[in-house]
Amino acid sequence: MVRLPTLSWLALRNLGREMRRSALTAAAMAVGLALLIFSRTLADGAHEDWIDAGVRLGAGHVTFNAPGYRDGESLDDRMSPAQLEASLAAIAGAGLREPPVVSVRVATNGLASSPGGALPALIVGVDGATESMFSRLGEEVVDGRYLEDGDRLHAFVGEALAERLGLRTGSRMVLTAQAAAGDIEGQLVRVVGTYDTGVEALDRTLIHIPLGTARSWLGVEGATEVAVLLPHSSFTDPVLEGAEAAAGRAGVEVAGWPETSPDLYSALKLDDGGDWAFHLILFAIVALAILNAIFISVLHRQRELGLLRALGLSGRETGLVVYIEGIMLTVASGIVGVGVGLVVVTVFLRDGLDMTGFMPEDLNFGGIAFDPVMVPVIEVKHVVQSVLMTFAIGLAASLYPAWHAARLDPAETVKVD
Amino acid sequence: MRDSETRETATNGAGTAAVRAEGLWKIYPQEPRPVEAVRGVDLEVAAGEFVAMAGPSGSGKTTVLNLLGGLTRPSRGRVWIAGREISELPDGELAKVRLSRIGFVFQSYNLLPVLTAAENAEFTMLLQGVPARERRERVRRLFAEVGLDGLEDRKPPKLSGGQQQRVAVARAVLAEPALVLADEPTANLDSSTAEALLDVMEKLNREEGTTFVFSTHDPRVMERAGRLIRLVDGRIEEEAASGGGD
Repeated sequence: MVRLPTLSWLALRNLGREMRRSALTAAAMAVGLALLIFSRTLADGAHEDWIDAGVRLGAGHVTFNAPGYRDGESLDDRMSPAQLEASLAAIAGAGLREPPVVSVRVATNGLASSPGGALPALIVGVDGATESMFSRLGEEVVDGRYLEDGDRLHAFVGEALAERLGLRTGSRMVLTAQAAAGDIEGQLVRVVGTYDTGVEALDRTLIHIPLGTARSWLGVEGATEVAVLLPHSSFTDPVLEGAEAAAGRAGVEVAGWPETSPDLYSALKLDDGGDWAFHLILFAIVALAILNAIFISVLHRQRELGLLRALGLSGRETGLVVYIEGIMLTVASGIVGVGVGLVVVTVFLRDGLDMTGFMPEDLNFGGIAFDPVMVPVIEVKHVVQSVLMTFAIGLAASLYPAWHAARLDPAETVKVD
Repeated sequence: MRDSETRETATNGAGTAAVRAEGLWKIYPQEPRPVEAVRGVDLEVAAGEFVAMAGPSGSGKTTVLNLLGGLTRPSRGRVWIAGREISELPDGELAKVRLSRIGFVFQSYNLLPVLTAAENAEFTMLLQGVPARERRERVRRLFAEVGLDGLEDRKPPKLSGGQQQRVAVARAVLAEPALVLADEPTANLDSSTAEALLDVMEKLNREEGTTFVFSTHDPRVMERAGRLIRLVDGRIEEEAASGGGD
């Protein structure tokens, strides 16, 4: 449109005249956007933290199993040495720049017994050195230490289990499970340390023992699971896509964390839903603030807008002047909002936002202990989404005042006030 | 004056009519009865005329001006501006006609408060796409003529009523329209300022050939008009050559 520069110039002048009103409207939008960015980055940080906590205490971001293992978790459905090799090769061929942590595991359900009693347990054979980089158990030591290279007949148990069985570091206990050959076999181990994750179900059942011990005890050559810890959860899908074909050729199933940790996935989706509800409320407030400010400004300027019609602007062009004002406010607020939002995020990047006062201690859900300190993570895609949504809200909220301005009757509006 | 005499006065020596209206009605739907603000007005103003419309409040003067200027659409009847019929034009086209053919001067000045006096005066030319240098030159010359030189950069609130109205007149005539419609332009001005403003408009009419149609109560305007049209109850009651004008 030929007159667009003139209309834009006029819109800019109009905004400049009502500087305080313009600034307040822009501030409402900017604060809304800054809040949105902060809330999104905080949610992204918390979600990544939950995923990290979940996958490190579970099956990793990506898991390789023999077909059927995930249904029954039986040693009968273990991976052969060839399948294990193929799984490791598939991970190596997935094209990750930063090498992931790969934990080969032999897991079985069994019984942990001591003179104090016997309890069902999930017994997992792991490589101590690798698992200490993978699992968070090594970071939650209450007494003693985590498994190390050279450990053989040792076990790392949860505090809750140790307490119930009357165990402590140095105590001996017997693990009993059905071996690969079908016989019930027992294994004497000594407790090297205890942990407390804050997740009762885990602390009461999960026992780590050295991989070699598990293999010889249960008569397993391959593994029941290859768990892969990636640098970030966003790599899950690309790795899955990269590894699926090779794993499939070897007769191995590969799955991402949403499939292996459905509770965690549901918890995240639930939280996402809550976040969206909060964002929608925020958007509605911002939209009403913009609509109110621009519409009142139009009502105050009816005579001027009518005059523009008399001077030769069409109704559409008169509405466009008002709409351009909305666009300018939105763009200015967007720039300020992104700036303020990123500054606030940066402030909390190092130490996070401590929500201890607002969350009960030991809060856990879906097998994850929630960290009350939320550290934001800047996901560019989500920041861009927030900006675009705020722009969309600003532009949509400016439509009605612009439409109203376009429909003003010039003969009526140029009359004396 | 009889009808035949009226027609003669209206077109005498004027060539193409600046504005012509035929069977003009404006009816506002209202309860309990529609209001007939304008009832069958026939009017022709030749290019270069200085015409005043007078009449009591509510007689339909402003409505007739709005109809002639395309600010409102007639319920019945037709309007031509410089030979082009505008009654049925779509909004965008009507806006173009207002921009290129019509200048407005309102009782309450109606300047854009965000623009300076010079920017207000050149605004219509800006919309027309007149180059900046030419706009400024035309504004400079006219401001000098109408006693506004030195006030170019002042915004409306910093100008007196008379100065604001002169800026409004400058805006109306600078784009060289076929017709300037002035709705009680002196109503808010003191006597000497009103006289000065009328001097300006009379001079523009005389020297530039600008056509003016006023609605007014002001006897000073009526005295200067070349033709005086009296409206009563939305009809032209009387139309006569006046003492003023060319």
